[in-house]
Order: sequence, then C-alpha cells, then structure tokens
Amino acid sequence: MEWLFLVVSFVAVLAAAMMLTRQNAVHSALFLIVNFGCVAFLYLMLDAPFLAMVQVTVYTGAIMVLFLFVIMLLGAETTTDTSGRMRWLGLAGSAVAIILLLIFAFPIASNMLSDASAEPPAASAKLRVINAIPGAAAEEFTVMEMGFAMPLVGTVRANVSIDAVDESLPDRRIDNIVYDDSRETVRRYSELPAGDYTIVVGVGDGSYASGPVFTKDLTLAADAAMTLVVFENAESLIDVALLSDDLSAPAVGAMRLTLFNAVTDRQLSLVEVGQYTTRRSLCDDSACNTLIPHRRLIDQLPAGDHISIELDEGQYNLAFVDQDQNVLRTLAQYQAERGRIETRALVREPGAPGSQASYRAAMYDAVGIPAFGSPESVGQVLFIEYVLPVMLVGMLLLVALIGVIVLARPDALAQAERRRVNRRRRVNRPLVSVISQQTGSDAIRGEYLAKLTGGADDRASE
Amino acid sequence: MNPVGVEPYIVLSMVLFLLGALGVLMRRNAILVFMSVELMLNSANLALVAFAREWGQVNGHVFVFFVMTVAAAEVAVGLALIVNIFRERRSINIDDLQQMRG
Repeated sequence: MEWLFLVVSFVAVLAAAMMLTRQNAVHSALFLIVNFGCVAFLYLMLDAPFLAMVQVTVYTGAIMVLFLFVIMLLGAETTTDTSGRMRWLGLAGSAVAIILLLIFAFPIASNMLSDASAEPPAASAKLRVINAIPGAAAEEFTVMEMGFAMPLVGTVRANVSIDAVDESLPDRRIDNIVYDDSRETVRRYSELPAGDYTIVVGVGDGSYASGPVFTKDLTLAADAAMTLVVFENAESLIDVALLSDDLSAPAVGAMRLTLFNAVTDRQLSLVEVGQYTTRRSLCDDSACNTLIPHRRLIDQLPAGDHISIELDEGQYNLAFVDQDQNVLRTLAQYQAERGRIETRALVREPGAPGSQASYRAAMYDAVGIPAFGSPESVGQVLFIEYVLPVMLVGMLLLVALIGVIVLARPDALAQAERRRVNRRRRVNRPLVSVISQQTGSDAIRGEYLAKLTGGADDRASE
Repeated sequence: MNPVGVEPYIVLSMVLFLLGALGVLMRRNAILVFMSVELMLNSANLALVAFAREWGQVNGHVFVFFVMTVAAAEVAVGLALIVNIFRERRSINIDDLQQMRG
C-alpha cells in the first residue's frame, strides 16, 4: 500500500510540475487531468469512494473539458509569457513557495517528531438494542446517566434502561446507543469503539429507583455487529441475549432471516404453509396425524436462542409453530426481498386476564451505519446536517449559471465591437479628417489639392 | 487497514498547493492561472479528505463536496470572463489587464 501511495503521489507531483512548465496550454490541461486522476485515486485509498467518483466526473469530466474547450475556442494554446517580468516573478514565486513550505512544514515535522507514538483511532463496532419484553407499548429503553440518577434521553414512562459502561475508562458513559420507542421498526446500529463493556439493564418507572436488575459483560470486537436482545426469561426476569449479526450480503437472490425465540416456554418452529391459514394448529385433530401441508424452515428453536436462515426471493405464507403444533402467529404473504437482512423476535404479549395470550413477531430490519465515505454516509450528513448550505450552494450554482449566460450572450461581442470602434473614432481620428470636417471636404479632397499640385505643375511647365 | 498515515497525505497536499501557488505567481496566461488555482483547491481537498479519514468524520467529505461545487461555479464564471476579455483585447495575458489599477 505504501509503494502504491508513493507511486501515485509521485505521478501527481510530476503531472503538476509538468502542467506548470508546459508552454502549450492544451498540454498543461492534459497534465492537470492526470493530476486530478491521481488525486481521485488517493481519495479511493482514503476510503472516500464517493468523492473519488465526484472528482472524476466533476473535475476531470466537466471542469477540464470546459478548460480545453475554452483554450481551443480562443486559440490560446501558446500565449507568450512576458519574458522580462518572468525572471524576477519566478524568483519571487520561488521565494514565496520556500517560505510557505517552511511555514507548512514546521508543524508537520514537529508533530512527526513529538507524536510518533500516537495511537491510531480505535476500531469501531456496531451495537443495537432490541426490546423483546412482553408488555404494553409503554416499555421503552432509556439511556441512563452513570450513577443511575436521571434518564438522559427518553420519557418518564420508560421502564427498561440500557447503559453501556466502558470499563477501560471508569467514568465514561456511552450514551450513543440508538434506541427506538416504536415497537416494530428499523433499528439502526450505533457505532461504539471496540472494547469491553458492561451492559446495565434496569426496570423501573423512569427514576431508576429499583436499580439495575441485570448486568452483562460484553466484548465488542472490531468490525463486529451485535444485537442486544432484552427479553423475559422463564423466571420472568429480564435477560439479555447477544446476537452476533452477519451483515454480509446474503446469497444471490436471497434474504437472510434471523429468528429469535423470546417465548420462554416454547420451542419455536418456522414453517411455510401452502396457503394462508387461520387455524390455531397445524393438526386437524387431537391425535395430530393429518397435517396441513407445510415445509419446515426452522425446527424446534429453544427459548432465548436464535438461528439464521436464507430465504429465496419470493412470497411466503409463514407460520410460527410451537412444539405442540400450535400456530402462534402467522405471516401471510410475507415478501422476501433479495439482499434484505432481517431479524425477527417472537414475543408473547400478555392479554387481559382470562383471555388468550397473543404473539407478536417483532421485525427489526438490519440497517447498519453506512460505510465511511460511501454515498449513503455522505448523503446522510449532507441532507440532514447541512441542508441549508446545500441550498445555498445550489443557489450559488444557479447564480453562476445565470451569470455565465449574461456574460456569454451573443450581443456582448457586438457591444464590445461598437465600443472599440467608438474609441478609435474618438482618439485615433486622423488630422486630415478633422480639417475636412471643419473646412468642408472639398477643401482637402477637391480643388484645393488640385490647386496645390496644379500650381506646382504650372511652375514646372513654366 | 491503511498503513499510510495522515502525514504523507498532508505533505503531498502541501507540495501540490505550493506548485499551484507557484503557477499563479509565475504564469501570465490567465487560463493557466485558473488551472493553478484549481490545483490549489484540489490539494486543499486532499488534506480535508485525509483529515476526515484520520478523525473518522464524514463532515470533511461534505466540505470537499461544497468546495468542488464552488469550484465548478467559479470555473464557469471565470472562463466566461476570460472569453469576454479575449474578445475585447485579443489577449489573455493578465499583465495586460491593468485598467482597474488605481
């Protein structure tokens, strides 16, 4: 990688130097294109693929074509540099360049000398939290302050709190875990520095009065993606399961479905049934000898466990079935989109007393943090944090467009021509025409001239 | 991931910037002066991208995006001006453009 950088940077500097020294402007422009291409390559090496593509399209594509167009339109390939000024200007330029070099180089050199042992930035890992606790929708996660005093984010009605404590730095609170109030929605990953954490899960009325009820040590490896599922275990206690997510692309034409069983007393199976069924059991009778035609995708998943399968693209009628062949939940006409990565947790919802419990297949799309420098990441920052500057730059481009049209309109040339003609008439009018205007044109052009020359002729003839 | 740290990129960007500055000072052809300005903008962009990678912040990329946009607008207007000046004076030597001198 280093030799690649050296080669590319050498070519970039060489191209820039050639651009400066060529007398032919077209050659200069071509060398500048080489230099821009090298810079685009360096952008790729710096994890900025989006900017590399913008560089190629905007700079080497649009701007340099504009340059070449103007050079060739004007026929200004070889305009001479004023040779007299050239020498001392070159000297002065070199002197300024050396001074600037010293000014710029000093901090870098001192930094290199003093800060040689600087650590590279810590690698990051992705973590998200999923609420799979049965109960009313009022249950939410809250990121709590250290010391468990006040909820930092969220509403007072929150009763489940998540806090990640970085063990390496005792008093640092990690509060950038993205959590979401809504139940079935896209859960985004939060980016945390890789390292060891202690996860604290508490249940309370928001004041954290009951204190943390569950802690779990957690190691986030670099570049790992983890999902933290908070659910209720068989003893009706809050438990935490860690799913390590596979965010790599699924097989071609398939999606990846991860199923988490949060129904504590059931073993869960996922079956594909031939058609949408409203039956509560796959069995026709209690003897359970005739079954609705079905295909088992996941068989007997224990509580608190998870498994990933890949589904081919298409439409499915899915049913979540327990070990007694009872249909807990159906997903009719489930659409499997290619390339999708989805996590589902089956959660039992306690119904009203006396009524039957219902089940919920909470869905969590895996929408990770887009890769650094990718169009998604740049676009997110651009259109979320920098909306106003984007608008202003758009207006600037519009103004520039109008300005160019005004500058380049055809009658500008005619106006310039007229101005030049006027100026010439005013300043460079020959003396003869001034005399002729004041004394009459015949005074010069006609008889007077003839008289002058004729008189000479007369003298000669005499 | 990438063994090349931020310093080599900054040094390279510095060298390119100085070359661009030299071009602005030394060349008298207005189009070449413009191209040197583009070179300087590019070297500044390179430094921004290098620092963005170093700090893991995408904001640097966004700023480079803005710089590119402004550069495109500037080039369009500047070249239109050069074309007009050339129409009027049949020269784009910037030493000839002195009528604004006080």
